[in-house]
Amino acid sequence: MILETRDISHDFDGLRVLSCVNLSVQRGERHAVIGPNGAGKTTLFNVITGTYAPRSGRVFFKDQDVTGAPPQALVRLGMGRSFQITSTFSRLTAFQNVRMGILGRRGIRFNVFRKVDVMREVTEEAEEVLRRINLTAERNLPARLLSYGKHRALEISLAMSTEPELVLLDEPTAGMSRDETRTAVDLIRRLTEGRTVIIVEHDMDVVFSLADRITVLHHGEILATGSPREIKANQAVRDAYLGEVAD
Amino acid sequence: MTPTALRWIGGSLALAALLAYPYLFGIYFTNVFVTFGIFALYAVSFNLLLGFTGLLSFGHAMFFGAGGYGTALALTHFKSLPLLPALVIGVVAAVALALLLSPLMVRVSGTAFSMLHLAFAQLMYVLALKLRAVTGGEDGIGGFRIPPFRIPGLVNVDMKDPSSFYYFAAAVLGLSVFVLWFVTKTPFGSVMVGLRDNPNRVAYLGFRVPQTKAAVYLLSAGFAGVAGSVYALFQNLVSADALHVLNSFTPVTMTMIGGVGSFFGPILGAAIFGLISELTSRYTERVELVVGLILIIVIMYAPQGFMGLVNAARARARARFAPGGATELAR
Repeated sequence: MILETRDISHDFDGLRVLSCVNLSVQRGERHAVIGPNGAGKTTLFNVITGTYAPRSGRVFFKDQDVTGAPPQALVRLGMGRSFQITSTFSRLTAFQNVRMGILGRRGIRFNVFRKVDVMREVTEEAEEVLRRINLTAERNLPARLLSYGKHRALEISLAMSTEPELVLLDEPTAGMSRDETRTAVDLIRRLTEGRTVIIVEHDMDVVFSLADRITVLHHGEILATGSPREIKANQAVRDAYLGEVAD
Repeated sequence: MTPTALRWIGGSLALAALLAYPYLFGIYFTNVFVTFGIFALYAVSFNLLLGFTGLLSFGHAMFFGAGGYGTALALTHFKSLPLLPALVIGVVAAVALALLLSPLMVRVSGTAFSMLHLAFAQLMYVLALKLRAVTGGEDGIGGFRIPPFRIPGLVNVDMKDPSSFYYFAAAVLGLSVFVLWFVTKTPFGSVMVGLRDNPNRVAYLGFRVPQTKAAVYLLSAGFAGVAGSVYALFQNLVSADALHVLNSFTPVTMTMIGGVGSFFGPILGAAIFGLISELTSRYTERVELVVGLILIIVIMYAPQGFMGLVNAARARARARFAPGGATELAR
């Protein structure tokens, strides 16, 4: 088990957002979290990745209690995440964005003795990453000027740049066209190969094609967890959520 | 000619001009230049926070003042203290003040950061006025001994001579600006810019955001301290004016006029600021009025400052002379 949450509850000013969420994810699994808007999916992500501590309950990552640990500590333990709202360095070029991720992974943090431009290994690795996410042509374009699909690809690549064992992707294909979605799913498959993924997604095609297991969140509670087949067949899930999306 | 050769030639010419300056322009303009150099470094250190890390300080004068008071107090109380240690004490004072404030300051940003700096700088200002026994109150500390610049057995230069002081100041300030420029080019410089654009993402790449901010903060304060210390030596005086809110806004204005988006913008801003003060002070005492007017015009018509205009012109020239060449959109 790479990640386990025990009885996670959270509220914002008394408004219950998560109640007693028990989620467990096996190493190597692709786990999708689905549910209607306001079900608490992003809050669950924020609690797991240390944006804030849950009101009650514990989070275990690689059998360590990491409840309330700050983001950078979790990242150094091997966790990574992408955001629902694209979170790149908007004024830096695609290359500089990718390079920032590489500096993070290599732990080059307080080096003030060498120019970053002459660090050949870093530059080469960044170029390689740009090739992999098909952004070589946009190398010198500021992130904010990238097309939506490319910007999202950069976002996913930043989430993966620290080579996390567990990565949480928050609606990676939100707002994408069919074509862009297909490219993104393909990219996610390639970049997350051999890693554990937790993904929040509204697009059921994406969910059922990517996920090994699915957790359905509804009003802050887990409605069901199971294989895609089990979830599709689950009556409660159909009533609460799938019915309105599928069909 | 290769760009490298051009750079060497340009650099050599600039160095020669710097060396010949006191002989070409006389004492008065030599002193004008020293003042420019001090404020250029001060503005660059300020822009390390604003332009590179996205933190707007309305109280940078407290570090400038700490540098000045540190050096002045050290020279007043230690009778045989040499020049460089006196300078170092000023810098240490500024860094110590920053260290004291940093646990709070690295956890705030935006308006809170600006206003807290305004508040603490005002506190320092009032302390400097009230603690007369230490700071000399309104009169400040003046007439302290300026030690000669001495390397035993090698050089012994009297700092009371304006042109000697010019070389000393130019070396210290020039080296400081170079160090800061170099830092912005290192991985740490990249992380600074990352903090400006998206501190959240920086944290999720495994960087410790508060500690990184603290490092930038200390660096910026330390070099503001260098500027303040050289200023105190240059004037042979440091008074509460150094901590005054107007002195906190000086680097803000210089940076806005010169261009917040570039390393050299604040230096250009300091030059323009100095030029305006120099010209207008011949006709009126209301120098701020003219500077303010120019600031408004710049903000309205050239929000990236003069350096923004320069860069835009360069981009246009490049686009014209390099057909089909890539236009560099990013800074």
